Amino acid sequence: MTSSVDAAGPAIQTSGLTKRFGERAAIDSVDLQVPRGSAFGFLGPNGAGKTTMIRMLLGLTHASSGSMSVLGRPVPAQRAAALARVGAIVEEPRFHPQLSGRENLRIVAAVRGPETHARIDPALQRVGLSDRAEEKVKKYSLGMRQRLGVARCLLADPLLLILDEPTNGLDPGGIQEFREMIRAMVDQEGRTVFISSHLLDEVEKICDHAAIVDRGKIITQGAIAELAEGSTQHELIVGTDDMGRALEVVDSCPQAKQARAVEGNLHVVLDVGADNTAAECSAAINSALVEAGLAVFRLEPVRQSLEQRFLEVTSRLSDTPAEEVVA
Amino acid sequence: MNATVAAQMTGADILKLRKKRGILIWANVLALAPLLVLFIVRAVLHSSSPSEHGPAGGTDGFTDAIRLLGLIFGPLAAILIGAEAGAGDHSAGVFRDLVITGRSRVALFASRIPAALLVMFSISLLGYAITIAGTYLFADSLPTPSFGLLLEGLGFVLLADGVICVVAVGFGSLTNSKAATITALIGWHLVASPLIASITYLGRSRDFILSQALVHFSPVRIGDRGANITMGGATAVLILVLWLGVFLALGAWRTRTMDA
Repeated sequence: MTSSVDAAGPAIQTSGLTKRFGERAAIDSVDLQVPRGSAFGFLGPNGAGKTTMIRMLLGLTHASSGSMSVLGRPVPAQRAAALARVGAIVEEPRFHPQLSGRENLRIVAAVRGPETHARIDPALQRVGLSDRAEEKVKKYSLGMRQRLGVARCLLADPLLLILDEPTNGLDPGGIQEFREMIRAMVDQEGRTVFISSHLLDEVEKICDHAAIVDRGKIITQGAIAELAEGSTQHELIVGTDDMGRALEVVDSCPQAKQARAVEGNLHVVLDVGADNTAAECSAAINSALVEAGLAVFRLEPVRQSLEQRFLEVTSRLSDTPAEEVVA
Repeated sequence: MNATVAAQMTGADILKLRKKRGILIWANVLALAPLLVLFIVRAVLHSSSPSEHGPAGGTDGFTDAIRLLGLIFGPLAAILIGAEAGAGDHSAGVFRDLVITGRSRVALFASRIPAALLVMFSISLLGYAITIAGTYLFADSLPTPSFGLLLEGLGFVLLADGVICVVAVGFGSLTNSKAATITALIGWHLVASPLIASITYLGRSRDFILSQALVHFSPVRIGDRGANITMGGATAVLILVLWLGVFLALGAWRTRTMDA
């Protein structure tokens, strides 16, 4: 099988990609760009269309309309060439349970081509399964199966890894180990890793870039830091010597939308608009406090997390009853 | 796809089948045990009452063993092997992982066929070895088959078991269900086929029954032992090609087009 792939351009690019099941659009006109050499998070709640998107990229199901390319090759027109250097785990990794870990890799190596057999031992070593490779997979734990799934991906010597909910079922130690492995693949080996997940924390910790998807539509995409900073809510933590008076002062400031006391500090939601930047609002509140004779010993903008951004942009949350949101 | 890759893919499919111990054991038991029972029971009966029961071997024993191996129990084993080869990847959930390699789906389907045949033929050959051993060991005073007849018998067993095995691979790939494939094909083979073949009202349309077409190639006269219809050689070949063509085409089509 040819391994010739376009070395330039995004690792994944889609344009107007749509997948319909009857009247329902599981993926709706998605334009996505995954930069090379990055860990890219495809973030969305359950049922948002993440797995459907991956299945289309891998040629497991047909798109209803739109176009896509993987490693510079159009899919499905040049699917074989595109996927020659792609490794993927879709949903949970599955294997022939009656075969050993090594035998399962031999099956895939036989399909990929003769040169692939030499990668079996290094792949097993890489995921720490060398000493368990001769055991039947039915005796493997879920964590071991996940690792064997990654080893199966590595048989392709992949330029692009596509991992669907890869940490499902892993214990905290396994998750940490997995994160380190993914980062090493990106940082040290220059591979691109595309991870779909509904776990915000996971994406924030592993990925450089992300797209947030909901109900089949991409809501936003970009670098993780930019996405988080793109939050419309700006918050300031203020520490003073008199919380009661400070609350009164801040409440009277037009730059403060809302203020509340939290663990000895004031948390102030800034009223940022076209005329006021977050910095200007912060300065105005500081001035008001100082002019009121209060000693301000802390003035710290709250770093927006991806989670806040995610909660803001996903429409599902607003449709969910309040008790479910709390849960 | 070059020959090396094709050979490796077939080897991989053989590995999957070899390691399916349950299926292999049942296939061996189904194909071989009836032969052992046939010869041993008849030998015991003959030794206890030679005047009432003839020798177990000889040409008579050979004929009955060929019928068991080529038309009744061998095909059951072929159905088990073919169903596993056709539907095994999907049942195990690994078909998508093979598709992800970028390899053509038709190539994935095609590699199942020689693998299933090689595994089935190993069972058929073992059965045929038992047939020859019983035929000569328990021949006593009966005539034994000629070398030519032995070769023709071998050809018939391999043809019959092979054709049914390939049909099962196609059907298994079409349904993606081992249970459905095994149930449907065994039901067809053991119940529906003989029943339909016995309905004379249906006339020449019964020519399309696979087992009846296979009987045509038997080197020994099966006649009143399961063959109800006579047909010309060309018709029999056409029926076999039709069955193989239809089920291979359906299996390949489904493998190529289904969501993985």
